[in-house]
Amino acid sequence: MFRYRLDVAWEYLFKLLPYLSVTLFYMGGALTIGIVFGAFMAMMKLGKNRPLKYFAIGYTAVMRSLPPIILIFLVYHGVPLAVRRMFQVNLSGMNTVYFVILALGLSSVATLSEIMKSAYLSVSGGQYEAAVSNGFTPFQAFRRIMFPQALRVSIPNLSSALIILMKEGSLGYTIGLIDIMGRADLLNSTSYGNDIYEIFFTLAAIYWLASILIDGGCHFIENRLSLERKIELNEIKKAGMIAAAEQGGIVRGS
Amino acid sequence: MLELTGVCKFFGKNEILKGVNLKVDSGDVVVILGPSGSGKTTLLRCINFLEIADKGTMVFGDKTIQLRRAKKSEVAFVRKKTSFVFQNYNLFNNKTALENVTEGLIYGRKIPAKEARDIGVKALEKVGMLDRSDFYPSQLSGGQQQRVGIARAIAGNPDVILFDEPTSALDPELIGEVLGIMKKLAAKEGTTMIVVTHEMSFAQSVATKVIFMDSGVILEEGEPREFFVHPRHERTKQFLRSILYETEYNI
Ligand SMILES: Nc1ncnc2c1ncn2[C@@H]1O[C@H](COP(=O)(O)OP(=O)(O)O)[C@@H](O)[C@H]1O
Ligand SMILES: [Mg+2]
Repeated sequence: MFRYRLDVAWEYLFKLLPYLSVTLFYMGGALTIGIVFGAFMAMMKLGKNRPLKYFAIGYTAVMRSLPPIILIFLVYHGVPLAVRRMFQVNLSGMNTVYFVILALGLSSVATLSEIMKSAYLSVSGGQYEAAVSNGFTPFQAFRRIMFPQALRVSIPNLSSALIILMKEGSLGYTIGLIDIMGRADLLNSTSYGNDIYEIFFTLAAIYWLASILIDGGCHFIENRLSLERKIELNEIKKAGMIAAAEQGGIVRGS
Repeated sequence: MLELTGVCKFFGKNEILKGVNLKVDSGDVVVILGPSGSGKTTLLRCINFLEIADKGTMVFGDKTIQLRRAKKSEVAFVRKKTSFVFQNYNLFNNKTALENVTEGLIYGRKIPAKEARDIGVKALEKVGMLDRSDFYPSQLSGGQQQRVGIARAIAGNPDVILFDEPTSALDPELIGEVLGIMKKLAAKEGTTMIVVTHEMSFAQSVATKVIFMDSGVILEEGEPREFFVHPRHERTKQFLRSILYETEYNI
């Protein structure tokens, strides 16, 4: 009869948790690549230069179609080969996490460029024109007017992208990455599969909690940046000033 | 003060402006009339370099500028000397009414924030929006947004303000407040303006010059009295009849 041993699961929690840092590391790495190069790619998509535009669109289409496992395999086996051929450098000793970061980064560039592009387009172009017509340089118009509004719009999508990134990275265990997934797989082998439910339910719970935290964090940031909040703060400020004025009146009157 | 000669603009193969000439003197209120699609918006946008004309010259003050090959400094010069009031306001949604007015001064004209604030307050006062200076555009009615749009346009003290159908996105009962402010600017401050509008009462009472555009050319121009009483072209008469009919119909 199946019996779930909570105490065993509890023990595994502490064996798995330290490896969450690896998961967070590849997420951060891939996100950085995605944001930096995704921004360039979003500019290419929005820009007038035809060849660059078609390159960006084509790249996104290819990346979207590719199962992440294939990308990870191609990067893990292909990159060291190419580097050895071209630069006579041996990458065999390199930590697998960098291959995972590169693979996830390559697909994040596509995903994030799409998110940035649509966020930018959601802000009415008239505001940009009004800004440059008002004497803003194109960069100032972007920085002061377009970017803050686009950022706010993009946050829910960024949250989803981060969670997807977290999950796709778990495939890294197939090339020997020891993140929480790789660690769980290892623990499962060493216990000869006897603790399989304790291990993998615990693992699932960690992923679940992490995605709740990501979602919550993004919600928090979104609220921070929201116009509703700005308006509310304004109201409070105004109410405060009225109250202060009234109080001043009472003092004077008495 | 501002003179355009031979302005041509293509969109793809379509010639939208076919050699437009326009002269505006200081204190002029030039009203541009014309059917939809005749190129009125495009003309204003070419003046502000929101659209780059394919041919034509602009003489602005003592500067002569080739519209097609305007340098960055020339574009900046013209944008400093002109401002644009948009049909759908185009206020910065992430900025308060006051910030909408001051940001251009601070970032575009390098005016210190404190000074910009004083100018902004004065501009909002002129359009009767001072009590709304902390409001965001989403908290304002269309008429109020357009009044902030006008405050933003006058704050930089431009030589010419370009209005592109400033009241046509507004509910009828809000049109008056915006036209009232424009009339005040013309009468009290002698502001030079180029106004695209279908508001005949404004054209008749405020314009110093009326221009009729059709299919990318200026078909007829004149003083309002002459223009409205004795239009020369059949096309102009037709247009005026259709507008007047529409006005009566609305009443
Ligand atoms: N960005 C654009 N691309 C292509 N065609 C345009 C563009 N802007 C305007 N047009 C065309 O130019 C013509 C004149 O437009 P517009 O200047 O807006 O006229 P109006 O303001 O007099 O109604 C219209 O036929 C319009 O479809
Ligand atoms: Mg128009």
